[in-house]
Amino acid sequence: MSGWESYYKYQGDEEEEQEEGLEAGGDDSYSGRDSLIFLVDASRALFESQDEDELTPFDMSIQCIRSVYTNKIISSNRDLLAVVFYGTKKDKNSVNFKNIYILQELDNPGAKRVQELDKFKGQEGKKYFQDQIGHGSDYSLSEVLWVCANLFSDVQFKMSHKRIMLFTNEDDPHGDDSAKASRARTKAGDLRDTGIFLDLMHLKKRGGFDISLFYRDIIVAEDEDIGIHFEESSKLEDLLRKVRAKETRKRVFYWLKLKLNKDVALTVGIYNMVQKAYRPSPVRLYCETNEPVKTKTRTFNVNTGSLLLPSDTKRSQIYGHRQIVLEKEETEELKWFDEPGLILIGFKLLMMLKKHHYLRPSLFVYPEESLINGSSTLFSALLTKCLEKEVLAVCRYAPRQNTPPCFVALVPQEEELDDQKIQLAPPGFQLIFLPYADDKRKVPFTEKVMANSEQVDKMKAIVQKLRFKYRSDSFKNPVLQQHFRNMEALALDLMEPEQTVDLTLPKTEVMDKRLGSLVDEFKELVYPPDYNPEGKVTKRKQNDESSGSKRPKVELSEEELKAHVSKGTLGKLTVPALKEACRMYGLKGGLKKQELLDVLTEHFQKA
Amino acid sequence: MARSWNKAAVVLCMDVGLAMSNSFPGEESPFELAKKVITMFVQRQVFAENKDEVALVLFGTDGTENALAGEDQYQNITVHRHLMRPDFDLLEDIESKIQPGSQQADFLDALIVCMDLIQKETLGKKFEKKHIEVFTDLSSPFSRDQLDIIIHNLKKSGISLQFFLPFPIVKKGGTGDRGDGSLLLDDHGPSFPPKGITEQQKEGIQMVKKVMMSLEGEDGLEEIYSFSESLRQLCVFKKMERHSMPWSCQLTIGSNLSIKIVAYKSITQEKVKKSWTVVDARTLKKEDIQKETVYCLNDDDETEVSKEDTIQGFRYGSDIIPFSKVDEEQMKYRSEGKCFSVLGFCRSSQVHMKYFMGNQVLKVFAAKDDEAAAVALSSLIHALDELDMVAVVRYAYDQRTNPQVGVAFPLIKDTYECLVYIQLPFMEDLRQYMFSSLKNNRKCTPTEAQLSAVDALIDSMSLVQKDEEEGTIEDLFPTSKIPNPQFQRLFQCLLHRALHPQEPLPPIQQHILSMLDPPTEVTAKGQVPVSKIKTLFPLTEVIKKKNQVTGQDLFQDNHQLINHIEQFLDTNETLYFMKSMDCIKAFREEAIQFSEEQRFNNFLKALREKVEIKQLNHFWEIVVHDGVTLITKDEVPGSSVTTEEAKKFLAPKENANTDTAAAFEEGGDVDDLLELI
Repeated sequence: MSGWESYYKYQGDEEEEQEEGLEAGGDDSYSGRDSLIFLVDASRALFESQDEDELTPFDMSIQCIRSVYTNKIISSNRDLLAVVFYGTKKDKNSVNFKNIYILQELDNPGAKRVQELDKFKGQEGKKYFQDQIGHGSDYSLSEVLWVCANLFSDVQFKMSHKRIMLFTNEDDPHGDDSAKASRARTKAGDLRDTGIFLDLMHLKKRGGFDISLFYRDIIVAEDEDIGIHFEESSKLEDLLRKVRAKETRKRVFYWLKLKLNKDVALTVGIYNMVQKAYRPSPVRLYCETNEPVKTKTRTFNVNTGSLLLPSDTKRSQIYGHRQIVLEKEETEELKWFDEPGLILIGFKLLMMLKKHHYLRPSLFVYPEESLINGSSTLFSALLTKCLEKEVLAVCRYAPRQNTPPCFVALVPQEEELDDQKIQLAPPGFQLIFLPYADDKRKVPFTEKVMANSEQVDKMKAIVQKLRFKYRSDSFKNPVLQQHFRNMEALALDLMEPEQTVDLTLPKTEVMDKRLGSLVDEFKELVYPPDYNPEGKVTKRKQNDESSGSKRPKVELSEEELKAHVSKGTLGKLTVPALKEACRMYGLKGGLKKQELLDVLTEHFQKA
Repeated sequence: MARSWNKAAVVLCMDVGLAMSNSFPGEESPFELAKKVITMFVQRQVFAENKDEVALVLFGTDGTENALAGEDQYQNITVHRHLMRPDFDLLEDIESKIQPGSQQADFLDALIVCMDLIQKETLGKKFEKKHIEVFTDLSSPFSRDQLDIIIHNLKKSGISLQFFLPFPIVKKGGTGDRGDGSLLLDDHGPSFPPKGITEQQKEGIQMVKKVMMSLEGEDGLEEIYSFSESLRQLCVFKKMERHSMPWSCQLTIGSNLSIKIVAYKSITQEKVKKSWTVVDARTLKKEDIQKETVYCLNDDDETEVSKEDTIQGFRYGSDIIPFSKVDEEQMKYRSEGKCFSVLGFCRSSQVHMKYFMGNQVLKVFAAKDDEAAAVALSSLIHALDELDMVAVVRYAYDQRTNPQVGVAFPLIKDTYECLVYIQLPFMEDLRQYMFSSLKNNRKCTPTEAQLSAVDALIDSMSLVQKDEEEGTIEDLFPTSKIPNPQFQRLFQCLLHRALHPQEPLPPIQQHILSMLDPPTEVTAKGQVPVSKIKTLFPLTEVIKKKNQVTGQDLFQDNHQLINHIEQFLDTNETLYFMKSMDCIKAFREEAIQFSEEQRFNNFLKALREKVEIKQLNHFWEIVVHDGVTLITKDEVPGSSVTTEEAKKFLAPKENANTDTAAAFEEGGDVDDLLELI
C-alpha cells in the first residue's frame, strides 16, 4: 500500500474494521511513487524584487518548494522530490553541463533537505546563494531538461508519475538563439514521449509574462483538454495554491458503473476529496541500532503447533448459550446484495436534501471514458440538466463486492474558477451519503422557549460583529502540527520544537474588543439578574475530573463476578473493570464490551 | 448502548384467531405476515443483546391460560411466554410452535391481559418504557364496557401502545414527515384492499382509532401500522429508537458570553455490534488457536528480537525518529478540555455539505429546565436563521479528545429548535484535485436532442409528488426510513444457522430486496426515456482494455512480482500465502493469454528454489494442492513443457522436502540426507 493510504487512515479503533473497505482500490499498491523535480531559474532577474517589502521571485519559489517538502513529509513521504537550479555559475550534474546545479537529487523528503532549503531564504539566502553557487551568464534549456530526464532515469524505484515544475520569470529565454530554442522544443517533445509532464510556474515579470513567446510549445500538460492556464503569480499565496493544485496526483477510489436501468450504464470514477488525516502510526525499532524491525504474525494450532490455513478455521458468534458457526466465506457472503455499482433510483429536488442528515464524508464523481466510451457526454448532459432543474439523483451505492449497499444523493456541482483561473470546484457530482433509519437516534429535546425580537436583534448585532469569511483550508490540525513539529525538532536536533499557532482556539481578546458592550446588553436582555450561566456546569466539570483521576481501582472478588454472571448483570460493570477481571483470570478478550462479557461468562460457566 | 436505565418491557399481543388465516389466493395470510413482523422484531432484540424483556400473549387460541381467566371471562387468551429476555427458544416457538387457532377473542380483553401482565411482572424492576404491540385483523367482536378503564390504566402506568393491522388505515390530518409516504407505498405491498373490510372490522378500526386518539391525540394515529409497512420500515417499532447520552457544556462567544447547553448525537452510523471470533474448524474452540507476533531484523537471517528490545519511532520523511511513549506523552498537543466555543460567524453558503466530516451529527439544545439558557440559545438560533449565517466553532468532547473545528447551524421545527453541529475539515484533510472542464470540451458536449432526452428522464423518474392544492411536496422514497438491510440479512443468516446448523445460508428475503428498489411506478415511467437515451447516446464498452494494460504492466518485470511474492511469503502468514497464490494464478492466466509461458515457467522455477531455501514447505503444499504448475504444450503451443514434466515439477521435490522435514523431526542427520539427493 502506498504512503498515502497509511497516513490517511479512517477513524481509529472501533471504526477501523468497517472503514477499511473504503481504502483505495488494489491497483494502487503497484502504481509506484510520484516524483517531482523543482526546476528553478537562478538567473539574476529572479533575485530582484520590484518593491522593497516584496519577496523576490526566487525567494517565493524556495518558500513554495519548502512548503511542498513539509507537506509531502506529512502526506506522502515515499514520493520523490528534487531541486535543480539553472543559470548558475557553478555546475553540478552527472553529465557536466554548464550552468546547471543539482541541489538535491530525486529522493524522499526529509528534515535535512528542508534545512538545506532554508539556507536560501531571504536576504541571507540570496548572499548564501551568490557565495556558494553564483549566477551564470548563459544556459541551454534543452540541456537543463536533459539533466532532469537523467534524474528520473537514475531512480531505482518504480515511478507512477513524473513531473517537472519550472519556476521562472523569463518568458523568452532563447530569444536571440533560435537554434537553442528549437533544441529545447525538441527535448520537451522527448519528455512528453517518455511520460514526463512539465508545468510552468511563471512568476511576475515587469511588463507581463507572455507564454506565447516560447513556453506554449514547451509545457507538457497532462491533458490537452484541461483548458486551464494559470495567470502569472505575483504573490506567494497564489503560487502556493497553484503548486498545491498540481502537486497532488488524482487517485481514483473506484471505477463504477452508473446504471440508469438494467441495460444503460456509463462509467464514473469516485474520488476522495476530504479524508481525515491521522498521525502516522508508529514503527517499531530495534533499540541497539534504531533500525526498523519487521513484524511477523502467525496463527497456529495450540495442540499440534502446526500453522493454520484459512480453511482450518471457522468464524463464530455466541448468543446466550448458543454458538453459531459460519465459514469465513459465509461471513463475507452474507454481506453480498448486489454487483458493485451506482444504481439510479430517481430524482429529488435539491432543497429536499437535509443538511442535518449527514452520515459520513462525501465523495466526488467524475466520468471515466476508458471503460465505457461516451460516458462523458451522458454525464455532462445529466450534470447540465440537474443543475438547470435543481435536482439531485438518488442512487443505491455499493462500491465493491460484499459491501452492503447504501443510499446516496448525487448533488450536481458546477465548475468554479477563481480570478487566477485556479479551479476552486471541479465539474461533477458530489456523492452525499444518506442515513438509514438505524443511523438516526431519537433525541430528548428541550422544551421550546422562543426569544423575542429584541433579544434576537441584539444577537444579530453580535453575530454581525464576528463575521468572517470561511475557507475550508483555514484551519490546520493542531494535533498533527504539534506531532510533526516535534519530529522535525528531533530530526534536526533543535533544542525546542518550532512553536505552532493553534488556530482552533477562539481569539477571545479580539472578539471581546469587537463586541464591546454588546455582550452585557444581550445578557441584560436574556438573563435574570441573579443568573450565572457558568454556575453549575463548571462545578460538575471539576467534580468529574477529580473523580475520574482518583477513582479507586475496582477489584471484584470471584464471588461477586460469579454472582454477576449467574444473574446476568455482568453488563453493569464498566469496561475497565471487565478488562481488569479478564486480566485476573488470564483471559484474552477483545476490546469491545460484548467480547469481554462473552469471555467472562464463558469462563465462569465452565468453572 | 444497551443500558439498564434504558430498559423496556414489551408485550407482543398476537391474534391467532380463525380469520387471521384467511387470505386471497397467492397472498400471505395476516397470520403469516404478523409472524414475520414479530420474528423480525424479536430477532433484532435477540441479536442486539439488550436488556429488554419481551412477553408473548396470543388470543383466539383454542385453550385459555392467563391470570385473569374466570368462568366466562378472558377465554381463549393464552400467555405463551412471560416477561423475560427474548432468546432463540422464543424465535423457535414463533417459527414452529405458534399455530393458527380456531376460536376468536376480544382484542380489548387481550389488551387487559397484557396490561395485567406488564403491571405484575415489572413490579420491583426498573423499566424505562412499557409497551404493548397488538397484531390483529380486528375481525372478532369486542365489548367496549371497559374502554375507559383501559385508557385510564394505560395512561396511569405509562404504557404505550401500537397497533399492526393487515391493511392500511386512512390517517386524516397526518402531518410531519412520517407516514405520508408510506401510505402511498403500501399500494404495492400484499395487503387486504381496504374495500374488502367487513362491518366488524370497520367497527374495530373505529375503536383502535379511538383508543389511540385518547392516548396520544392526533399523533396516536401515526402509531397504527399495516404489516407490509412495518416489514419495510422496522423503525416503526417505537422501542427500537435509541437514546443518546447527553453532553453538557457551555457555548461561549468571546470570554464573557456563555450559554449552558446540552448536546446529543442525532445521527451516527450504526455498526454491527459483535465481531466474529476465529475458532478451530474441528473443535470449534477459539482456545485451540493462537496468534503469535514476533519482531525480527531486516537481515538475511531475519534474526528475531524480543519485544523488550524494540522501541517506538515515527517516520518523518526519510528519517525515522525514535520517540518513546514517554516522550510522546510529554510533547504532545494538550487540549484545554471540553468546549464549544464560537470562533466566528460566516454566510451559510460558504460552508458546503461537501466539506462535512467526522462520524456524527450533534443536536445542541439549551440545558434542561433552564429558561434563561433556552432564551439565550433561541436568540442565537433565530439570529443565525434570519441572517442566513452559521457559527464556526471549536468543539472538544473532553480533555482527552482532540479538538475539532465544525459548523453549527440552526434547525427550527414546530416542536423544537436547536443548533446542529457537524465537523469540518482541517487543511490536512483536504485534497485538491483538478478535473478537465466538461463545458468547453467539444468531445463531450451533448446535443440539444440529447439534453432534452435527459430532461425527460429526470421528469419521468421524479421521486417527488407535488400537491398543487396544498402546495406541499411528498417524498416517494424517504431513504432515512429504510432500515439498514445489512442487519436484517445478518440476523436472518444467524438465526437460520442457529436453528438449522447443517443447511446452507438462506437466500435474501424478497421484502428486503424490494425495500432497496425504486418504487415500481417510478421505474415503469422511466422505461421509455431510458430507451430514448440508449438510442441517442452512443455508449460502447471498452472491452477489458484497461485490465490488459495493467496486467501487462504488472507482469512486465517478473523480478518485481517475485519480490512482491517474496515479501508476502516473508510474513509467513497463511493469509499472505493465499494472496501470493492469487498473484501467481493471475500471472499464470495472463501469461497464457499473452503467450508469455516462458516468462511464467522461469518464474515458477525460481520461486520453487526460493521456497526451498526459505523452507516454506507449507506454502509449496498450497501450490501443489492448487495444482499450479508449469505452463504446458497443451495450454500454449510454444511451451516446451509436457504435461508429464509439469506433473513431475510439482511431485518429486515435494516428497524429498517432506522426507527431509520428517527426518529432521526424528533427529536424523539432514546433511546425510541431502547428500543422498
